[in-house]
Amino acid sequence: MTSLASLTKPWEAFSYGFLDASAKRELRRKMLKAVAVPGCQMPYASREVPIARGWGTGGLQVTLTLLKPTSVVKVIDQGADDSVNAASIRKFLSRVSGAGKTWDTGEATILQSRHRVPEEVLREDQILVLQVPNPEPLRPVEPNMSVARQMHADADYGRLWLTLYEQMVRSGRIMQGAAYPSLVNGRHVMTPSPIPRWDVPKLHMARHLTFLSAGREKRLYAVPPYTRVEPLVFSDVPYKVEEHHDLTCHRSGLTGYFMNEIPQNDGSSSFEVSDSHFGIKAIRRSEGEALAPIDTWYKNGELQP
Amino acid sequence: MAYVATRGGEKAIDQSERLYRADMGTIDAGRIAEIRRALPWLIDRVMGEASLYEADLAALALAQSGGDLYEAVLLLRAWRTTQPRLTIAEPVTQDKLFTHRRISAAFKDIPGGQILGPTLDYSHRLLATGVLEGRPFVPAAVEPATTPAPAEQPSLAAWQKAQGLVADPAREDVALDDIPDLTREPLLFPAKRAHTLQSLARADTGGVLALGYSAMRGYGNAHPTVNELRLAEAEVVVRHPRGTMFSAGRVKVSQAEVTSKGRSGQLDLGFCATFGWNEIKVIAGATLDLNAPDAPQNSPVNEEFFLYHTEPVEASGFCIHFKLPHYVTFQSALDALRDAKAKAAASDAASTASAPARQPAVTEEVPA
Amino acid sequence: MGALPPSSHALITAPLRGADEIRDNTAFEAILWALSRPGEIRHLPEPGPRTILLALVDRECRVHADDAVIGELAAWTGATLTPLAGADHVFLSLEPGADIARLNTLKVGSALYPDDGATVVVEARLGRAEGDGQRLSLSGPGIETTREIAVAGLPAGFFALRDRLCRYPLGFDLFIVDGSDVIGLPRSTLIEVL
Repeated sequence: MTSLASLTKPWEAFSYGFLDASAKRELRRKMLKAVAVPGCQMPYASREVPIARGWGTGGLQVTLTLLKPTSVVKVIDQGADDSVNAASIRKFLSRVSGAGKTWDTGEATILQSRHRVPEEVLREDQILVLQVPNPEPLRPVEPNMSVARQMHADADYGRLWLTLYEQMVRSGRIMQGAAYPSLVNGRHVMTPSPIPRWDVPKLHMARHLTFLSAGREKRLYAVPPYTRVEPLVFSDVPYKVEEHHDLTCHRSGLTGYFMNEIPQNDGSSSFEVSDSHFGIKAIRRSEGEALAPIDTWYKNGELQP
Repeated sequence: MAYVATRGGEKAIDQSERLYRADMGTIDAGRIAEIRRALPWLIDRVMGEASLYEADLAALALAQSGGDLYEAVLLLRAWRTTQPRLTIAEPVTQDKLFTHRRISAAFKDIPGGQILGPTLDYSHRLLATGVLEGRPFVPAAVEPATTPAPAEQPSLAAWQKAQGLVADPAREDVALDDIPDLTREPLLFPAKRAHTLQSLARADTGGVLALGYSAMRGYGNAHPTVNELRLAEAEVVVRHPRGTMFSAGRVKVSQAEVTSKGRSGQLDLGFCATFGWNEIKVIAGATLDLNAPDAPQNSPVNEEFFLYHTEPVEASGFCIHFKLPHYVTFQSALDALRDAKAKAAASDAASTASAPARQPAVTEEVPA
Repeated sequence: MGALPPSSHALITAPLRGADEIRDNTAFEAILWALSRPGEIRHLPEPGPRTILLALVDRECRVHADDAVIGELAAWTGATLTPLAGADHVFLSLEPGADIARLNTLKVGSALYPDDGATVVVEARLGRAEGDGQRLSLSGPGIETTREIAVAGLPAGFFALRDRLCRYPLGFDLFIVDGSDVIGLPRSTLIEVL
């Protein structure tokens, strides 16, 4: 170490997978801790990446840390692969890593998603990375992050239970839409990110590993395989997913999956299956293409145990 | 494949980016040089918020974003992410700054003197419309003083400490490697002092002004007096691998110290510094810092409140993310709402008594 | 400057993957899987704890290593070497007869920050044959029902000490390395000594 050159390194526009080695090491350390304490929010530095904060930068950093050239990435937004931001993220991931791209859930090794868990059952060799806007399930009852952290430390979820109870009394049901607060491994309440209630049970005792990462809020957490994820409910009122069991997709003919509602001019609604490539595969199958059979979490509109 | 036709996908995002860039045309080295020469105060602001001191890159970011400040700062921050940390510079003290401008509102004159330096404070804000009529605006030449002001100035707070007017906390010598670094670790509360100052240094100028102004108007406890405001250049002193210390160059810095009468019978100080010359930001930032101790929770001068909400990349990114589709979360909320309505209707039909109608209210969606 | 071709704003092509990146990514993939599925054996890119250290440790870390060579490697990454009580990454060399009382000072984090619990790497033998080592029954996150493993070469009382220190969500997270094989035992795993 005698010259200035020893302070630096050969110039490159950026590292493999965009993040430099020290950023990746920090993420690796935090990802391990997240796995070790399921559902507990781990603070991390959260580097700026070349997309805007709030647009999936947390998920992006986790995915970039995992990527290798043989990875195959699927990116969805609201269930759709061709949604503009999903397309942008997929292109970026592939550009900086040489990883393969796919729309097919079964072909992917890493799935980065905003607001949905695919309908097809994920395998143990697949990792789901959920983008998280707000990692704090207690925010509606406590906006101050320091106080909320103390509440998690004390497992003090009384105020959260109280708001759920008030909803029961006032509206006859719990009014939480997406991002349903859930108890992980019997200890930490987490927000599963704004996935619909339909998707939360897919995280419970799953075969795959899920990371949830909030870049702007600088927190990441995980649900390892075979980990209990229990939506907060009262013992006499069971958890209720969206009533999409009987809806049929007007494009693919699929019934019993989470649907997008499309308002019609005549005042009615039509529906299309939200997991867009799942729908495409159904159409292709109906057109005679031989596709491998697909295992899904829901069958005939009911969650399979 | 019916889905594809209904959505934009990759082609659409490509074309929309082209459309954005079409009017700005080719970016070449000449444009970068001109931006850098013509807009030094804007360059300074961008470098401060990016926490990256490199004027050419800042000019390039402004050129690439067409002058959208938040985009420019994001470009620089993202580039910064890819750069290794090579070394840590020695701390800079006030009395070693090459000072261009130094004023105090607290005293008529101060040891070392008031140095007005470059400012538009006393200019008449008249547009030079003649330029548009073909008469170039040529600034009058500066007339050097007969005796130049000394390059280095003492710190006013040092005088006040000697007088016993402000608390003089013992100096803490922290090893360079142990100085907490906000860009490598998360901001947690109560914040480390280094994190607070780093966070303010890279904060959004407009955001700091808005919250600082609210404190100045009375949403804080302490009314600031500008104890000392400086625009200066600081030597970046680093250790050569052979062991010798050397200056790798100078960076422009601004710093403000504001003061008010504290409860302990002494003066309290608030401090803010940033890369580049940006007086508004450091005065407003120092005002927030002055008001932060014992601030009520969730008030604009509470440290967690103002540090989280003046982070330019996070705030702007989250604001524009609401343009992203949210139809899954909306669908989920709609389902709960319809079910509650149905339940209410069923229970109304069942009850003979005139009970007040239930009002279903969807739980605030966690925005995504 | 000579005539350079016009550069598109799309200036990114995938950079080459260096040997360090390949090693670190492979090691991390192994230990992430191992920690996510406690007791399942994964393979490190080379024998010993070296690749775990290189994938995780740098100047942001405080490291304790019993082994001088590992300690030197940690110092080379820029990490600060500290006594065991202050270390976030701990590399243990434990003889079967060793006194393990010092491990009572391992960092276990706090209820506010469970992530402050240490990551501990120890070399031992992962039993494969019947009767080889201490049999353990594992349950908890990452394990569908229970999983049985056997570990040989750790001091008596090691798992009892772990049990005392891991007051979930506080605790430390353990990797056991045997040659290139590694298993993970996060603090969330319940270990029953059979």
